[in-house]
Amino acid sequence: MRIVLTVNGAVREVDVAPVARLLDVIRETLGLTGTKEGCGEGECGACTVLLDGTPVNSCLVAAAQCAGRSVVTVEGLGSAERLSALQEELVSHGGAQCGICTPGVLVSAAALLSRGGVPTDAEVREALAGNICRCTGYQKIVDGVRAAAVRNAAAARGAS
Amino acid sequence: MAPVVGQAVPRVDGPAKASGSARYVDDLTRPGMLFGATLRSPVPRGRLLGVDRDPSFDWSGVTVVTAADVPVNVVATIERDQPVLAAGEVRHVAEPIALVACEDRLRLERALAHLTPRIEPLPAVLTIGEALEARTAIHGADNVMKRYAITKGRGRDGLTGCEVVVTGRYETGAQEHVYIEPQGMLAWWEGDDAHVVGSLQCPYYVQKGIKTVFGLADDGVDVTQATTGGGFGGKEEYPTVVALHALLLARKSGRPVKLVYGRKEDVEATTKRHPSVVEITTGCDRDGTFRAFAARVVFDGGAYVTLTPVVLSRGALHATGPYRWDDVSVEALAVATNTPPNGAFRGFGAPQTQWAVERHVDRIARTLDLDPLDLRLRNLLRSGDTTATGQLLAESVGAQRCADEATWASGYRNRRGAGPVVAGRTARGVGVACFWHGAGFTGSGERYLKGRVAVDLLPGGQARIRTASTDIGQGTETVFRQIAADALGVPMASVDFAIPSTRVVPDSGPTVASRTVMVVGSIVEAAARELAERVGREAERSGSTRAEAHERLAGTPALATCEKQYEPPPGLAWDDATYTGDAYPVFGWGCDVAEVEVDLDTFETKVTGFWTAVDVGRAIHPVLCAGQVEGGTLQAIGWALTEKLVTRGGKVLNPRMTDYIVPTSLDAPPFTTLLVEEPYSRGPGGGAKGVGELPMDGGAPAIAAAVEHATSLVLDRLPLLPEDLFEASGAARSGGGPA
Amino acid sequence: MLPSFSYARPRTLKDALTRLSASGAHPHAGGTDLLGCLRDGVFDAREVVSLSDLAELRGIARTKDGGLRIGALATLAELARHPDVVSRYPVLAQGAAAAASPQLRNQGTVGGNVCQRPRCWYFRGDFLCARKGGELCYAENGENEYHAIFGGSGCHIVHPSDTAPALVALGATAVVASAKGSRRVPMEKLFVLPAVDIHHETVLAPGELVTEILVPPPPPGARSLYRKVRSRAAWDFALAGVAAVVSVADGKVTNARLVLSGVAPVPWRVPGAERALAGKPLDAASAAVAARAAVEGAAPLAGNGYKVDLVRGVVEEALTVLATPATPA
Repeated sequence: MRIVLTVNGAVREVDVAPVARLLDVIRETLGLTGTKEGCGEGECGACTVLLDGTPVNSCLVAAAQCAGRSVVTVEGLGSAERLSALQEELVSHGGAQCGICTPGVLVSAAALLSRGGVPTDAEVREALAGNICRCTGYQKIVDGVRAAAVRNAAAARGAS
Repeated sequence: MAPVVGQAVPRVDGPAKASGSARYVDDLTRPGMLFGATLRSPVPRGRLLGVDRDPSFDWSGVTVVTAADVPVNVVATIERDQPVLAAGEVRHVAEPIALVACEDRLRLERALAHLTPRIEPLPAVLTIGEALEARTAIHGADNVMKRYAITKGRGRDGLTGCEVVVTGRYETGAQEHVYIEPQGMLAWWEGDDAHVVGSLQCPYYVQKGIKTVFGLADDGVDVTQATTGGGFGGKEEYPTVVALHALLLARKSGRPVKLVYGRKEDVEATTKRHPSVVEITTGCDRDGTFRAFAARVVFDGGAYVTLTPVVLSRGALHATGPYRWDDVSVEALAVATNTPPNGAFRGFGAPQTQWAVERHVDRIARTLDLDPLDLRLRNLLRSGDTTATGQLLAESVGAQRCADEATWASGYRNRRGAGPVVAGRTARGVGVACFWHGAGFTGSGERYLKGRVAVDLLPGGQARIRTASTDIGQGTETVFRQIAADALGVPMASVDFAIPSTRVVPDSGPTVASRTVMVVGSIVEAAARELAERVGREAERSGSTRAEAHERLAGTPALATCEKQYEPPPGLAWDDATYTGDAYPVFGWGCDVAEVEVDLDTFETKVTGFWTAVDVGRAIHPVLCAGQVEGGTLQAIGWALTEKLVTRGGKVLNPRMTDYIVPTSLDAPPFTTLLVEEPYSRGPGGGAKGVGELPMDGGAPAIAAAVEHATSLVLDRLPLLPEDLFEASGAARSGGGPA
Repeated sequence: MLPSFSYARPRTLKDALTRLSASGAHPHAGGTDLLGCLRDGVFDAREVVSLSDLAELRGIARTKDGGLRIGALATLAELARHPDVVSRYPVLAQGAAAAASPQLRNQGTVGGNVCQRPRCWYFRGDFLCARKGGELCYAENGENEYHAIFGGSGCHIVHPSDTAPALVALGATAVVASAKGSRRVPMEKLFVLPAVDIHHETVLAPGELVTEILVPPPPPGARSLYRKVRSRAAWDFALAGVAAVVSVADGKVTNARLVLSGVAPVPWRVPGAERALAGKPLDAASAAVAARAAVEGAAPLAGNGYKVDLVRGVVEEALTVLATPATPA
């Protein structure tokens, strides 16, 4: 079946098997391999994408459910040449090691930061509870996300 | 040029990883690529009579590989006992029996379902206890794979006449790595040349495995590391198996084959941390001065030998903890069981024995009614002391400083002295653990290995490091660039890091054993220094600038490259026959303080604070270094509190991340990480030692000590799940608890 | 990779129910459990019927009688943050919030959470157990530390839902529809013990679908909470838990409903404990008595005796928390 959806702001029409996972459509049909598969069961969060602005595990979303909806993947947050504040701060605070969970972590964190303000340590931890990282111990991820929030807030103040 | 060593420079692979453009093996494809899958044993032990193909299934376009297709059916590690594919017998659940490949993944799963191994089950040995009983012999007559004995002074006889003798028994279970990227390889052939790219720690281990099976020369094999999504030891020896399987399918099908494990398959089939039983008896003076240490260490090696002898060795060598003993006897043995081979996992045997000794030191403290910290401080190793193998600790012994810094920063003494803080229905307690970890290969390992590194001068003022040391997240690419940049006297941006590929990089040895920065990094530094000298000499000789000299050398193949080999530190001596001498070039040291809150109604345990001080010699990159410490510590916390592999008849019952429980952001404590620098004279960047494994050693015993402080429950078996605390409290109530 | 089946995306509930009446048809709501079950062969489907276009199954709204109507497709995240649920039915908001990780709460629906299949490792693993049509309950003499201490016979699963115990405690009713019509089933009667039907967890007939859940207005003076014990703080199923709704008037308990999670094949109501509270002040003493009553009749297996202590502990703790005046109604 053909479905039309918006991916990282661009309207895409794809031909998918109705039971195809959104994850496979993103990675294979659209070639956006930044979204990772860590478990295929919605447990690790490496495949997290935003569906209409809300973080979901794309390994558990049927592509057919996404017709007419908007998907944002890690590639939609910023490219290697033009990283967003969130991507940059996560890296500089040591929040990315092996990097396989990083796209999912960033997508969940982006949803949190889109609410504005500077979240507390506890709020960051709650928002990232569905993204398993086996490398960092999480402290440096939390620090990076909060630093990005501070930077975004300062930028928003500067712009207003 | 301002030095970059010691600076938290931007991580070089950061932008690619944070934008999703880094390519892991599952992100790679090749034209005509097939997908591969593995048929595995459903039983722990049996005679393999054959593999039946369902004739009603359409096998066209499906490649099937069995043991008959394997030229030399051996996974080459220490012994040659493990087949690439089972032939004649199976020795553990999930042992690979046959391989399947086809274009379509759905059809692949169906093909796999229509392939059935014919197995006549045999009685299996599933636990350390069953193996030691040896009623069923699966390895020799006694199921013992390997033994070591370490003796210092009078050995066990030293216990005689000690004022206070204390005995205890300590156990740990299996632990799964849960690297978030499962195992995977992409393989293809070009003529007779084998190519694999994939998720791995040790390119030359994979190369050796391929050479053995296919009878190829070094240059007939190309092993390349893809960006690797975590390893923790789990991608030390196992990727060789995956690479061989992918290559066998590629050879038979004539097509590239990608073989990527699913999570469940990965947990069921791959290596785990060795389960252990350690019995310790010690003698000390009434004032707490340690005198004699005797231990029996037993590890479960699993079905094949793989790396078990070296894991056991490291376990035995760390069994005394970072303490001074006059007399030592360590008897260590590994037994065979019909479980998947246990293998390398961050810490490599040392976390198991240090769990035991740290719990034992708490037992001594309890017996003597001493504060556990005071008892430790009295006995911690200092410069000038000797270890169990008689190694003189001449320099870089930061044990005491680590203990001071961690306990001071955490306010341990006040918290401990105040007793458990009971608030409502919860109790808080604190616990301390001290630990050490030998950096680099054990004994003569580095001497045999002769790790090599090359550094090239390239046109345009650039340089390139070529090493087989892989970045699996620790930050090798960044840290090696820092070391080389300072040694060359150039900006970091001028230094490249070649993708580890066996046709491009020399064999630096494996990415294991906390050796990357300290051992390989020092070779990087030496090669870069030599090039800097060459440039200087050339500039002087020709009266040109260094930049001009660089360009001239870069254009002269004979002078552009410096390849260096490991130089063993002078005076280092090790005797494999007696297990005496310098077990490691140097040790890292550490002290952890954990604070936990235990719900007294439900025995849920939450780690509310964690302070860790580690002596790393010199932190080349403080942020990455602390990242190693915190990540390793959280793995230790998971091992302590939630990670339990449950098996039945040799089969894993919880092979999913739903029920094999690793810590989330809500479980991780806030970390206070203190990097202590007691430089090692031969370490790179001004004295760096290994750090990768050290943080795995202290977390579990510190948490058990904190739980004990909070609840008075003595827990000597990992993990500490609520059900285990209930069991211990029941035993304590009925008076049956341990003393 | 998923096995093949046809996929329908009906536009009307009527069409959906017609399709679901065919044998081998399965509804697809959030999909968080369905896709895993299909992939692992826990059950097969010939047709998967998407409910995602059925707007009438969405939403959370107050009813005329002051209660709540929850569409079966309301997500756990919506439930956990809905102001009316948070303020008037804390037990339900807390159950939804405790259910899973943030992503799964965004995807998972209340209907799916209530009707999800059990997590028993034999049921989910490669064992043809009694629930899947085999002969044996492998847990009975196997690894059973996470299994039932109440209500097991021939099968010892525990019900995995965190919202179902809350809904039972609140006296909610499920509206169940099929192509033949609809009926109302009190939540307490929705679940079925293995002694009655070993193959199913609910009384839903083939082709029946939970379309909405009706929650009555909270009783006057009601305090409620859901407390779940698990081995990690996020995304873990309950070792044991309790949904408690207790009404207090003039310092005395007038009505109490206590429903346990994670310890029985169904959300397990403990009438003995409820009776122990009736007419008593809600305090430490009555909490202790009720907690002891809650474990009466427990029949632990070899590996899960600790759950008896755990239930006693968690019930006592929950009631003690409810007894403190700071707890909002």
